[in-house]
Amino acid sequence: MEEYAREPCPWRIVDDCGGAFTMGVIGGGVFQAIKGFRNAPVGIRHRLRGSANAVRIRAPQIGGSFAVWGGLFSTIDCGLVRLRGKEDPWNSITSGALTGAVLAARSGPLAMVGSAMMGGILLALIEGVGILLTRYTAQQFRNAPPFLEDPSQLPPKDGTPAPGYPSYQQYH
Amino acid sequence: MEGGGGSGNKTTGGLAGFFGAGGAGYSHADLAGVPLTGMNPLSPYLNVDPRYLVQDTDEFILPTGANKTRGRFELAFFTIGGCCMTGAAFGAMNGLRLGLKETQNMAWSKPRNVQILNMVTRQGALWANTLGSLALLYSAFGVIIEKTRGAEDDLNTVAAGTMTGMLYKCTGGLRGIARGGLTGLTLTSLYALYNNWEHMKGSLLQQSL
Repeated sequence: MEEYAREPCPWRIVDDCGGAFTMGVIGGGVFQAIKGFRNAPVGIRHRLRGSANAVRIRAPQIGGSFAVWGGLFSTIDCGLVRLRGKEDPWNSITSGALTGAVLAARSGPLAMVGSAMMGGILLALIEGVGILLTRYTAQQFRNAPPFLEDPSQLPPKDGTPAPGYPSYQQYH
Repeated sequence: MEGGGGSGNKTTGGLAGFFGAGGAGYSHADLAGVPLTGMNPLSPYLNVDPRYLVQDTDEFILPTGANKTRGRFELAFFTIGGCCMTGAAFGAMNGLRLGLKETQNMAWSKPRNVQILNMVTRQGALWANTLGSLALLYSAFGVIIEKTRGAEDDLNTVAAGTMTGMLYKCTGGLRGIARGGLTGLTLTSLYALYNNWEHMKGSLLQQSL
């Protein structure tokens, strides 16, 4: 379980749908537990019961919304992979925008444009952070510039001192 | 193949005669340490017994921390997603049926279409959320039991199903808990039987022969 490998494309839709549902239920469950606790009548028993009821009723609905978003996103992403024949961040950004647009279709064209922009910007941020993280972690594997064993073997260069004083300048 | 016969030392005249021509060849004391397998003695020029070089072909080189097989955690998201999609499909069909039944008296018009569409989406969401929640509880219990016991078998399946049923019906009191646990036990037992049907069928045939 050190590395969670992602499934290939047709099964990725089911996997991402399940992952999104799980995130929605757990995350939504935490928030609904707090909200139910605060909205319940006075008394520790009432508050605990209110918290449990809120989690039981609302958490699956939040999970369902996340699952719809995740499933549709992966479906469009796999469709783009099939059409374009490549996998890159533009697939994710376009999928996020199209997912937002499709899920806001019943609210009218203006809401579709707004949701598409929100989805695209969100996925662009996620991909950007991912790329920066990859660059940062890859730096520790970069090879150091090779150290020259015998600088006096280098040919003399214009502007350098006499051959008796070889230059220890690093070349990039 | 371990059955290579005894490794008794055969100090017969044949060996002495074979090496006697050399004069300064191997003596009996030198040959006493070489194990003999069956009728054919091993060559004295071998430093290692070849039987120890047999490799186990079933072994793999695994990365550090990785398991030999994928466990329940890798399967959890697929289970939850599959249950959500299945619930959405069946719920949508049920919603279409209910929507058509409730709007029988209406003529084909925009309100009727909206009513049917609303019924389809709500029933689909309801079934998907319910089935997804059950799958989530089942997968969570399965992963916890797997990590606790350190083993992966059908007992985990049955235990996870029973716990899922008990937790899902815990708001109905002890009677609800018992009924939910029994339902989970029954369903997962049937699934375990289905999973092992080929194996059990083979065993039954073997016993009958």
